[in-house]
Amino acid sequence: MAEKLNLDVRSAKGSLEREVSGGYASDLLSDVLANSQEGNIWVTLQIHQNIVAIASIKDLAGIILVNKREPEQETVEKAEEENIVIMVSELPAFELIGRLYKLGISGMG
Amino acid sequence: MIRTIRADLHVHTCLSPCAESEMKAAAIVMQARRIGLDMIAICDHNSTENVSAVTKAGAREGIAVIGGIEITSQEEVHILGLLRAEEPLMDLQEMIYKNLPGENDAEAFGPQTLVDEWDREVGTNRRLLIGATSLTVEQIVDAIHEREGLAIASHIDRERFSLIGQLGFIPKGLELDAVEVSPRATERDSYDYPVISSSDAHFLSEIGKSTTAFAVEDASFDEIGKALRREGGRRIVTEKMEDLSLHILDIVENSINASASRIEIRINEDRANDLLTIEIVDNGTGMDTETLKKALDPFFTTRTTRRVGLGLSFLAQAAKESDGTFDIRSKPGEGTTVKATFRMSHPDCKPMGDIGQTIQALVTGYPETDFLYEHKKDDRTYRFDTREMSGK
Repeated sequence: MAEKLNLDVRSAKGSLEREVSGGYASDLLSDVLANSQEGNIWVTLQIHQNIVAIASIKDLAGIILVNKREPEQETVEKAEEENIVIMVSELPAFELIGRLYKLGISGMG
Repeated sequence: MIRTIRADLHVHTCLSPCAESEMKAAAIVMQARRIGLDMIAICDHNSTENVSAVTKAGAREGIAVIGGIEITSQEEVHILGLLRAEEPLMDLQEMIYKNLPGENDAEAFGPQTLVDEWDREVGTNRRLLIGATSLTVEQIVDAIHEREGLAIASHIDRERFSLIGQLGFIPKGLELDAVEVSPRATERDSYDYPVISSSDAHFLSEIGKSTTAFAVEDASFDEIGKALRREGGRRIVTEKMEDLSLHILDIVENSINASASRIEIRINEDRANDLLTIEIVDNGTGMDTETLKKALDPFFTTRTTRRVGLGLSFLAQAAKESDGTFDIRSKPGEGTTVKATFRMSHPDCKPMGDIGQTIQALVTGYPETDFLYEHKKDDRTYRFDTREMSGK
């Protein structure tokens, strides 16, 4: 997936093999906490270190930051500690999610 | 002398594009005075340019005004910065403007009007004040603290633009001075920070819709800071006024204001006889018969400026409601004894609340005063005398 979508991996390269169960997109972390599912790939533009905690608590497959948004340094450090993959895409969210969908990743069940 | 003031520390002006045009300097302070506030803080979105007009109008009308700003972080979290004086406020303003891209579209977002202290419109701000800065929550909190300000997370109970809504939870180690809950909030106790409540008023009629009571020496920025840090007896007065521990606090503060050097607080919870007794004895200046009669009037206070200090009448009412008794004896020069009893099983008997915290606040807040605290619960007695502690 990372190769096909030209994503730059910023943390936890070792966890890239993980299977993705589906996708979730939101920039409200409280919403992600409430509604994302285990194994989801999460698309967001938030770069604060709290995204790592949310991904860890919800056991998400990884985080994709859109619009070339670079994670803060603390975020990368936390992600390495917690083994959470963070990838950066050049694409805006709508375009990136469309391509993920084409790869067979769905947001439902 | 510690007294209770009421403050609404989050009020917008017509500079915020989302606020009504009626939110001008004089109109705001007149409304604050009309509803009995002592203090307001002006916090427009990403700008402080109307603060000085409101401060001047406040000085005229007798309302203390703290200069503030509601900063939007890049995560779209709103953080209130309250500052002591105009200079650090301007300095913070400059830094925010450097990190705030965009231009306002008044048609879409609303006008951003600058006013003077007489409510004359003197200009317009063209920046995109409703937008987000490029600063993180941490950078904003640091920027406020570098200028010795107070950093408060806005309306933490809401979803939109709140720290918890945007970031899921409060980032670990974030050095907030307080969190603010909105008028809608039902839960106040579940945060690790001091909790204030404010109106976030965008209309005149919203001012004071939710407020915070502070026990402080005067309505000033420094005293609010001390209250948030619980220094020198200053504190946030909990809004749960039904707790008996808070009535006790009120009575003891009356004693301190009456120059008492020793105050004895005795509580007896006697379940076998279904009787709770609270007795507070001081050696202060005492009252003559006429003053004593007035003291039980809910609108009496020895201060001439404000009608608070409702302690005695509240305690008397609480006792009566639970089928108990209330008695006060006082003589000029000899001190005052207040005694109230309550029937513990009565459905209207108020909860004690956190009496330990109350006693601690008193002992640390008034180191010059001797306290005896004696609390009997059935056959166990807890006794604590500051005179014995300090070996006097």
